[in-house]
Amino acid sequence: MTEKMIKQQDFEFVEKDFSEPASTKIKIKIENVGVKFQDKNGIEPVIALKDVNLAIKEGEFISLLGPSGCGKTTLLRCIADLLHPTSGKITIDGQSPRDIRLQKKFGIVFQSPVLYEWRTVRRNVCMPMELLGLPKKERTAMVTKTLELVGLMEFGHKYPHELSGGMQQRVGIARALAINPELLLMDEPFSALDEFTKEKLHVDLLRIWRKTNKTIIFVTHNIQEAVFLSDRVVVLSPRPGRVSSVVDIKLPRPRALSLKNTPEFNDYVIKIRNSFEGV
Amino acid sequence: MKTKKINKNMVTNILYPVIFGAIILILCQTQIMHKILGTDVFTLPLPSRIIEIISENIPKIMVNVKATLIVSVGGLIIGSLLGYLLAIIATVFPKGGAGGLSVAAAFNAIPIVVIAPIFNNLTKGISSDASFRSMIAKTLVVTVFCMASMSINAYRGLNELPPFSVDLLKSYAAGNFTIFKKLRLPNSIPYIFIALRVTVPGCIISGVVCEYFAEYVIGVGRQIRENIVTAQYATAWAYITVACIMGIIMYIILLIAENVLLKGRKS
Repeated sequence: MTEKMIKQQDFEFVEKDFSEPASTKIKIKIENVGVKFQDKNGIEPVIALKDVNLAIKEGEFISLLGPSGCGKTTLLRCIADLLHPTSGKITIDGQSPRDIRLQKKFGIVFQSPVLYEWRTVRRNVCMPMELLGLPKKERTAMVTKTLELVGLMEFGHKYPHELSGGMQQRVGIARALAINPELLLMDEPFSALDEFTKEKLHVDLLRIWRKTNKTIIFVTHNIQEAVFLSDRVVVLSPRPGRVSSVVDIKLPRPRALSLKNTPEFNDYVIKIRNSFEGV
Repeated sequence: MKTKKINKNMVTNILYPVIFGAIILILCQTQIMHKILGTDVFTLPLPSRIIEIISENIPKIMVNVKATLIVSVGGLIIGSLLGYLLAIIATVFPKGGAGGLSVAAAFNAIPIVVIAPIFNNLTKGISSDASFRSMIAKTLVVTVFCMASMSINAYRGLNELPPFSVDLLKSYAAGNFTIFKKLRLPNSIPYIFIALRVTVPGCIISGVVCEYFAEYVIGVGRQIRENIVTAQYATAWAYITVACIMGIIMYIILLIAENVLLKGRKS
């Protein structure tokens, strides 16, 4: 698919309305997905994922939760077309992940912010739009909008090393949102941050999600983080990586940090923690 | 904060070397250095005498400086470009490329005094003009020296990328050329300067050394040799000083370029 053939996304964010019922439209369908890796000696393959089935709704905030080695990042990479499943199928709006990637409909936030040290904050956020071939005027407007969204408007001319870890990760989120993607994929984005920064970013992320109404897939190994952020938590267990349970989080929205002190929140945390016992 | 950093850099990059150089000059001028080394002013002339010779022979010195600069800068530019090209080839074809870089590293270990006569012989048939033949042979020596250093460092810059940075670009459907342009190329710039910090002073040294063996009698290096052979040590030292000044000026130009092109990057 050539650059010119790509249908440009609408560059206006649509705010989520919690008073409206959530969309029931299936955005991503994961059917019997399995991933095998050859081990270093090439003798016995390592089964990273086995028979994963999942349907993710449009506008949903879903977390993939599990211990190290359970295949949650592998699953996210398959959805992002950065890795190909060895069996099964993934469709996004009826299309393959490759088609969606080539249409530049993904925004990805990685474990590290992956900022280019030779670019200022503004130019880092601008990068995906350069790849999309957007005119400069549009790029400038969108950079301003996304930096305002993540609260970094006055840091646009700074270089990444001049920012704190939390601010760098917020730049990463702004960059992911810059092309107004349909899907926001987040791979343990806050795992390297301290608790205080992490909590602030949780609230910020929920605010951004509300403002943009994106479908978010969030990989984490932190149960509290998953419960606080998500509509549903997909619990994965290792050896081989598989979905062991899916927990609906029916906590009210919008959510504030005080929610973490409620018995309902703790009930969900305990329920999920218990599901890991014996794994 | 920034001013403090600049001041610290100025102290380490400029002030300390200047103080060290001034101490050496004073020790030489007062002949304390001669006593320490057990030598005389004939073998190691006084700095004032060296300055006098330089000021009296500026037109002749400039002819030789120009000849050396053509060889050194020419070899530096060609060698750096070829070295970078080799690094790109090694990146595009990683299986054979790594082997190619090992060969480049091996070339880097061969002393200039060995390569220079080989290139003198190699270029014998390319022209009837001795000055041209000689210039090509010397430029080739400098080229080989600069190419090896550049290829090894540039390869690191093109391949030692921040984690997930390639994945990020691929997620936006970037192809290999876009990944090269947006990521590998800018990532390699600091590594280019690592190579240049070696090759910029090195190109003057290698240019000067291969002039010793050159067919045509011209250049700062050749003047050092000719004057030592004829026991004109003061003149030889004048040319040695000129070679040092050339190296220092080129290194300063490099540092300025580095400050401009690496602006904003974490040091």
